[in-house]
Amino acid sequence: MLEIFSTKIILFAIIGAILTGYTCSLMGTFVVRMNLSSLGFAMSHAAFAGAALGIFLRKDPLIFALLFSTFVSLALGPLADKAKLKTDVVIGVIFSLSMALGLLFLNLSPDTAMSSTALRILWGSVLGMTTADIIYLLIITVIAILFVIMFFKEINSILFDRKLARASGINDKPFYYLILFLTSLTVAFSLKLVGGLLVFALMINPTSSVYQFSYDMKKIILFSPIVGVISCLLGMLMSFSLDLPTGSSIAIVCSIIFGISVLISPKRRKG
Amino acid sequence: MDKAVELNSVDTTYEGEKIPCLKGISLQIKKGEFIAVIGPNGAGKTTLLETINGLLESNKGEVKVLGKALRGDGNDIRKYVGYVPQDYSIDELTPFLVSDVVLMGRYGKIGLLKPITKKDREVAKNMMEYMGIDGISKRPIGKLSGGQAQKVMIARALAKEPEIILMDEPFSNLDFEARREVSDKLIHFHKNRGMTFVIVIHDIASIPKACNRVIVMDNGRIVADGNKEDILKPELLEMGYKGIVC
Repeated sequence: MLEIFSTKIILFAIIGAILTGYTCSLMGTFVVRMNLSSLGFAMSHAAFAGAALGIFLRKDPLIFALLFSTFVSLALGPLADKAKLKTDVVIGVIFSLSMALGLLFLNLSPDTAMSSTALRILWGSVLGMTTADIIYLLIITVIAILFVIMFFKEINSILFDRKLARASGINDKPFYYLILFLTSLTVAFSLKLVGGLLVFALMINPTSSVYQFSYDMKKIILFSPIVGVISCLLGMLMSFSLDLPTGSSIAIVCSIIFGISVLISPKRRKG
Repeated sequence: MDKAVELNSVDTTYEGEKIPCLKGISLQIKKGEFIAVIGPNGAGKTTLLETINGLLESNKGEVKVLGKALRGDGNDIRKYVGYVPQDYSIDELTPFLVSDVVLMGRYGKIGLLKPITKKDREVAKNMMEYMGIDGISKRPIGKLSGGQAQKVMIARALAKEPEIILMDEPFSNLDFEARREVSDKLIHFHKNRGMTFVIVIHDIASIPKACNRVIVMDNGRIVADGNKEDILKPELLEMGYKGIVC
């Protein structure tokens, strides 16, 4: 009985890792190309603030984490456009606000000490994957894939240059906001596996690794998620074999793959 | 008169600024005209082009393109208007191939949820051949020289098969020989397709032969507008627009 239970946990962890690795790295192609690398950081801290509020209110922290990161994603695009600031600057403001709110809520919580629930949001807990988590991850993965397939022309054009995309007759704003929104959903649903602090490593490193081998955006969009899945699976293997935290192991594997990619990149070869 | 563009008392002010960059511009452009817009830096030439294609919203007056008033984001109009931006700088590591960038010119015209067809790819391929860049179609756009990148941007705009084409200093990165070659191609395109051309040019010597009208701008206003021969008379240049054009 115990064996079946643990097999189910491992199976859920593997499925969760595949889905998280795929979606994070797919959205990572947009995040890297649009210079939004701090986006994952801001989203994860918004999720942390939400989780802290959930703990303070004695409600489900994950729901509040989702609500906060979704709110940030919806506010980010219009705020950057209205304030005429670079998105990275607005992300910086949101990041510090989220961190401040998170610590404030935790401080106000009856248990006072940094709750283990809030820490799980930051560091992840892959063995705690539930059927619901897997279903949510599957839904967000399918949505992300459909988004890329259905609007490939528009996305590709915006990734090349937003102004030129607009000049060619593409309504860039809704797509830009959708990219931010889907990225935040991906971050929120990936918290369980890698945690908020490491999720952006999974977004940036696989894409940055594939960047070392190609100048073709189509190939980067195609191969980044595959590298993301491989990173997650190898990271989990490392985590289980050496009894290390899963999120950290995945981030280390991602970084090693990136380091090797930089070293053997044909882009740095002359002649 | 079949009008391609009509501006009535148009002011365009950049957000956050008080002084308009275009001041009371009234202008009519007939379909099939080939117009050169000249003037010094900061005269409002780029602002004029971006007001026509709706990338900049005018805050006074009326802009009509192909008989339709520009309202909202202007995306519908831009499907029929090609645009070559000024001195387009591309990062060396930009992960896009030349063939993809040229094909992208058609994406707005193809429309949402519609697939890229064989015809779209053929048109893009033909434009690359036409501009002499088919040999570099699989090269990364960031690795090209300034002149090659400029030809890619022109091919991208032409690939849309627009009714109006707006070009902002399209020859600035080209050497003398390439200028003449590209200019001849644009003339050929204008002659065969009857497209309306509006080209911002800094150097009078680069004005294509097919150009039948010249607009002189200074300080956000049109200071002269007429036949090329009338506008570019040496004595007028000397007296009327001294220091404005070069």
